[in-house]
Amino acid sequence: MEEAFKSPLIRLEKRSGSSIKPVYAWLIRLGSIVFALLLGCIVIALAGSNPIQAYGTMLDGAVGNAAFRQQTIKKAVPLLGCALAIAPCFKMRFWNIGAEGQITAGALAATFVVRMLGPQFSGDSASLPLLLLMALAAMLLGGLWALIPGFFKAKWNTNETLFTLMMNYIIIGVVAWLQAGPWEARQGRIAQFPKLAWLPKVEGVHCGWIIVLVLVFLVHVYMRHTKQGYEIAVIGDSMRTAQYAGMNVGRIMMHTMFLSGAISGLVGFILCSGATNTLSKDIAGGVGFTSITVAWLSQLNAFAMVAISLMLGILTKGADTLQTVMNVPASISDIIIGLLLFCMLGCEFFINYRLILRKKLGKGGAVT
Amino acid sequence: MKKILALILCLALVAALFVGCAEENKPDSGNNTETGSKADTGNKTETGDKPAAKTVKVGLICIGDENDQGYTYNFIRGKDAATKALEAKGINVEWVVKWNVPEGDACEDANRELAAADCKVIFNNSFGFEDYMLKVAPDYPEIQFVACTNQASWGDGLENTHNAFANIYEGRYLAGVVAGMKLQQLIDDGTIKQEEAVIGYVGAFPFAEVKSGYTAYFLGARSVCPTVTMKVQFVNNWSDATAESNAASALCDAGCKVISQHADNSTPATMAQSKGAFFTSYNNDMISVAPEACLVGTRIDWSIYFTEVIEAVVNGKTFDQDWHKGLADGAVVLTELNKDIIAPGTEEKLAEVEAGLKNGSIQVFDTKTFTVNGQELTQAFALDTDGDFAPDKEEAVFNGAFHESYFQSAPYFAIDIDGIELLN
Repeated sequence: MEEAFKSPLIRLEKRSGSSIKPVYAWLIRLGSIVFALLLGCIVIALAGSNPIQAYGTMLDGAVGNAAFRQQTIKKAVPLLGCALAIAPCFKMRFWNIGAEGQITAGALAATFVVRMLGPQFSGDSASLPLLLLMALAAMLLGGLWALIPGFFKAKWNTNETLFTLMMNYIIIGVVAWLQAGPWEARQGRIAQFPKLAWLPKVEGVHCGWIIVLVLVFLVHVYMRHTKQGYEIAVIGDSMRTAQYAGMNVGRIMMHTMFLSGAISGLVGFILCSGATNTLSKDIAGGVGFTSITVAWLSQLNAFAMVAISLMLGILTKGADTLQTVMNVPASISDIIIGLLLFCMLGCEFFINYRLILRKKLGKGGAVT
Repeated sequence: MKKILALILCLALVAALFVGCAEENKPDSGNNTETGSKADTGNKTETGDKPAAKTVKVGLICIGDENDQGYTYNFIRGKDAATKALEAKGINVEWVVKWNVPEGDACEDANRELAAADCKVIFNNSFGFEDYMLKVAPDYPEIQFVACTNQASWGDGLENTHNAFANIYEGRYLAGVVAGMKLQQLIDDGTIKQEEAVIGYVGAFPFAEVKSGYTAYFLGARSVCPTVTMKVQFVNNWSDATAESNAASALCDAGCKVISQHADNSTPATMAQSKGAFFTSYNNDMISVAPEACLVGTRIDWSIYFTEVIEAVVNGKTFDQDWHKGLADGAVVLTELNKDIIAPGTEEKLAEVEAGLKNGSIQVFDTKTFTVNGQELTQAFALDTDGDFAPDKEEAVFNGAFHESYFQSAPYFAIDIDGIELLN
């Protein structure tokens, strides 16, 4: 008995690989959402509103009518695209947190094309070639922007986390300069693109959603069913093994980073051509960071990303409506989203570890 | 056992969620159907015919929230005052406000959302919102869209878009008079020499809106302190508390004795106080943050415009597409004078200048009071019609003055006059 008193109230034990069934893992994940929503209730109540009504408003504001659903999808599209972009990097344990900058680089290149070549295109039929050129340029610059840290990592084993992060600030600074300098139209802003350079709308939302859905399949096939995808997985599991198997790790890193940056660049194109119709230094708006959460929550599974990014879209749009309809401060909505993400990411801990309470220990006495 | 409990808990919450939705659907379904049937303008006339209290839904999209204690806070004050004024006229305003909306496609979404929520008028409070507002306005011809401080409505070919700007240059001229009086007092009592009467100005961007403001301020100061000069430092941002503070600090170090600003934060006020300089504020009374420095402030009273517009909409009337009013109508006001530190005689002088501005005997941009490269200004265009951002139409100089905000509400005085030195 004495021993039992000495042992801590709660102990953690690592679950061995097969000890948790997938069903339970998903139950824990669902439970974490429920827990987060309950925590959110407290926050909403503290802000002086009815929690149940608030959640209802959020859901209704996100999917309640066609206009709201369109906005929700518009918010989810860049998150999904960018999560797809960083998945290959994360799979090989290359911590690319520079998607924000790669998006901005893509948008910058697309804008460059509009500004330089836009006047040469005229007539409705010219829209498609112009858009294609913009997309191509965006992918190229986004890819190159990601290739730089990839190259340094491959050559001199630099820290990719810091390197990619710093690259964000550089490209955002470049856009800030263009915006207030050479490309400025009026009061620190770049002029809106001509209609020709706008992504056409399908079902009320710019057709970027179709592009990212196609990407879901492409990325899935690439990661699961190609030699390159296999190489990425091997490097992620053990770089030594990859080297022993004769893989050129540096090269693989570089082309994976280029691919990742290119997809981010494409997202940048979608954002500037589809959503804002212009370029600004805030074009990425945190998507490059939020999408890390999306990729992680979906366990780098391309199809799960669709669901997770939609969920985040619903949350942000819902929070937006909550603010309008119930006069809840914007920060309260942010807190709710933060709680949800925290709990959802945190619950992975409980999937990997088991809690053991002292009482159980005392009774059983078998645990040493 | 625990798992079952967890499951029950989940189900309970999901059920609760749906109950919540069902509840919420009732009031909201009204909204949703209304977006579909927005074509029926019967709503407007219906409220117009009723003698009882009329209710109107009005949207407001803000770039910040009350925490900035400056730009957006000033709109909120306008909104609250307008609500009261309209209440007295039997009109209930139901505001739907979006806070902290960035200048990007989020603004388009915000406009769409407020339109879907059945607002009859939607005010956009920041300059950068107009591009996005204009993407929504054509889809809702029966809703009035207003871009405050902007200027596209006269040329966008739409009936339902509007601009508004108050003649803040008049308020700045008055604030300049207060600053000039103080400098003259310092000269007269021997604290500073004549040539040391320098005003420092923290400007956001080198655009007409800012240039017009500091020039008016400078001319106001020089009207009472003939030896005054001015240095202007731009921060290239509308709202960057640190940069504004640094600019104020640099200006004080360069010998400026009075600091004023055209940016959103109160940090220049506190910096001026810590450097022993005086200060006049914009958007808000900053005496509370810098009691030893802040002489006075000037701000736009948006309630005048809000009241006019909302009343017109409720009564089914049209209103100006390009609105501007000034001191004479109370749309521009001075905040309270800091009586402990202003120069003696300031109040009398202010009353005199104010009366002069109101009856037109004093012109802010009187061409006899300033020179450009040593010459009197005889010609300057007001409007940019071809989109190259250089004015090319409508002669603004006539009857001995440059007529600011005469051809459009947004300021267009963008001339560099002698006596003002731009530091960057």
